Amino acid sequence: MTSTATAPGPTAPAPGPPPPSPPDGRDRAGGRSGLLGLLDLPGQAVRAIIRSAATMPGRLTVIAVGLVLLALVAGLIATLSVQDRDDTISGVIDHREPLAAAAQQVYKSLSDADATAASAFLSIGTEPPELRSRYERDIAEAGAALAKAASDSSDVADAAAPVDVLNQSLPVYTGLVETARANNRLGYPVGASYLREASELMRAKILPAAQDLYRVDTEKLIEEQDSATGFPWLATILVVAFLAALIAAQVYLTRRTNRLLNVGLVVATAAVVVSLLWGAAALVVQGSLVGSGQDDGSHRVDVLVRARIAALQARADETLTLVARGDGATYERDFGTNAAQLVGPDGQGGLLAEARGLITDGEGAAKVADATRAAEDWLKAHKQVRSQDDSGQYQEAVDTAVLEDRKTGSAPAFRRLDDSLQAAIDVGRQEFLDDTHDGDRALTFLAPGLAVLAVIAAAGVTMGIRERLREYR
Amino acid sequence: MSRRGNTVRAGVLAVVALLAASCGSPGKPVDPAPVSNAAWPQPAHVGGPDATAGGGADTSCNPLASLPPNGTIGSDSTMAKIKERGKLIAGVDQTTYLFGFRNPTTGNLEGFDIDMVNAIARALFGTSEGRVQFRAISSSQREDVLKDHQVDVVVRTYSITCSRKKDVDFSSVYYQAGQQILVAKESKTEKLSDLSGKRVCAAKKSTSLAKIATDPAKPVPISVDNWSDCLVMLQQGQVAAVSTDDTILAGMAAQDPTLKVVGGQFTQENYGIGVPKDNEDMVRYVNAVLEEIRGTGVWQDSYRKWVEPSLGAASPPSPQYR
Repeated sequence: MTSTATAPGPTAPAPGPPPPSPPDGRDRAGGRSGLLGLLDLPGQAVRAIIRSAATMPGRLTVIAVGLVLLALVAGLIATLSVQDRDDTISGVIDHREPLAAAAQQVYKSLSDADATAASAFLSIGTEPPELRSRYERDIAEAGAALAKAASDSSDVADAAAPVDVLNQSLPVYTGLVETARANNRLGYPVGASYLREASELMRAKILPAAQDLYRVDTEKLIEEQDSATGFPWLATILVVAFLAALIAAQVYLTRRTNRLLNVGLVVATAAVVVSLLWGAAALVVQGSLVGSGQDDGSHRVDVLVRARIAALQARADETLTLVARGDGATYERDFGTNAAQLVGPDGQGGLLAEARGLITDGEGAAKVADATRAAEDWLKAHKQVRSQDDSGQYQEAVDTAVLEDRKTGSAPAFRRLDDSLQAAIDVGRQEFLDDTHDGDRALTFLAPGLAVLAVIAAAGVTMGIRERLREYR
Repeated sequence: MSRRGNTVRAGVLAVVALLAASCGSPGKPVDPAPVSNAAWPQPAHVGGPDATAGGGADTSCNPLASLPPNGTIGSDSTMAKIKERGKLIAGVDQTTYLFGFRNPTTGNLEGFDIDMVNAIARALFGTSEGRVQFRAISSSQREDVLKDHQVDVVVRTYSITCSRKKDVDFSSVYYQAGQQILVAKESKTEKLSDLSGKRVCAAKKSTSLAKIATDPAKPVPISVDNWSDCLVMLQQGQVAAVSTDDTILAGMAAQDPTLKVVGGQFTQENYGIGVPKDNEDMVRYVNAVLEEIRGTGVWQDSYRKWVEPSLGAASPPSPQYR
């Protein structure tokens, strides 16, 4: 009968606090006595150990059990911490770096879409098919990269808000651009206002969200790189403590038994020393490789990405000044800000100078040098665009700004700048991947190796002490 | 046995009651992705009324009285210098549909104001083809380019006012505009007072914005950077109406067949051609050209082409001279 009374408890449909047990004194009293018995167990064990430690064989058994336990715990912790580090590096390679790259792709594609839509808008008649397809590709890339970035926003809470903004605003943005395009095709100047509204949405809402997403994912990448190069304190302390205990045990045995060496304990000591040396060597190599993956790879990529985005936004400003047709002073001011970020106020500093300082050799340095030259050409062409537009030669200014085949124009110089920065970013990502992958390789077999060495040490301790124990029988 | 049965029953009831209390109702299904705000995006720098709104009734002069026309070109005159240069430099608008705008399919500037510039060039050179250098300027640049002699004329929906006449000279009136209202075709709005409490759009620093802000019916003024931003907001339903010079409204109505211009002109704006202050011979010459195009039907042809479809028939305003 009692069973029917309690049956609804476990089969209740909704989760909730478990039903309180019926107010029944007997049950609790019984539980208390069982619990007390359980609490008493360690005390009994300690008393038993102290009793047995009074005799030499008992003392040896206690030492053996203690050493074996320490060997196994130290081995387990060391193995787990190496395995965890291995997993972190794999996570950085397979997960975090692609996500940071996806966030970067969202940011870059959207900035490029903004600049390309404005360029296409300035073209007379039908917009050039290459600009149209570039815009389409930007939007498609941004959408695909956004889906990738969104897949991660569940475990990085900070990423959820910008992903939400991006997902909600991107369709509105493309709608506005298409409205602008349709009006422009009909010859209606209101198309320019739609394009400017689209650009305002992009700059005031979408790009800041993309920037947040990029920042969150980049910080997360750096965090995981740092955690993959941190010092494994707990494992080291345990292994060193085990080594000290082993040596102490051997000294004690030598004094008590007058035997210089105990083969089992020597084997165990050797195993621990090998673990320490192997672990230290592997971690130093791995740490420096992952660190150089961060310095030569992801850190450089970050500087280059920021340079590229400053360039893309300046390009959008350049074209939007012309789209605004005489009312573009604010865009021109923004151009100045973005250009200063890219090359510094004097043309010698900014993010490009920072990149030159970081990347001093190899293919990357050549690409950054290309980008610097292209930026100089572009700013020169921009001056020409502005002087033409300001003197009322609007059509000439548009031609200088958007025609791809005009050698001294803005468009080809900007294209070279963008391509060089993209190439330098690719070099940086490759270096990151190579270094981090090599770092990962340094840890190969270390985790199972440490486990095996711990078992060998434990076995050595057991055999060594058993040999001594036998002498007492 | 029966007592035990009662105890059990009571226990069952207690447990059920406890369960019911602790679980509560299952609640509503969770909204997986709540959206707080799906409003339209706005053009850049949308604001309310603007303290710097221009205009103001300065009645210290008769703004419409210009210099009497004179079509002869003296040897040392401004016109002779322009002819020598080979090009007339004109400050124009390229954003106002129907008056001065860049046709996106051809890249050329077109509109009623552009026709006026071309008429002056034709009078000077015999043809306007290749004889005009258009300089796109914003409305705030109009006085400056004239004062600095960067252009010969400004033809850019330029209202003649006494305060402006202190800095620049004007030709006779070539177009009479007035503030009206642009609304959706199905709207019952007929005058500004019908828009009480509704959002009405105008460009920053415009006299139209001041007019909306001071109207006793208290429409809600919304200010934007560019006139065509107002059309965007009207099309997106963010404002109920746009109110400004009918010239600008005509251009908007021409871009959207679902809109209409209503209200009748409740202000009067007299457009003149701006000329640098010290070029009096140029003012007289431009007045002579305007006399000619009023008489020969050039004005009427241009009006019919650009403005009549949206605002109905009109005849050229009659000039006044000092």
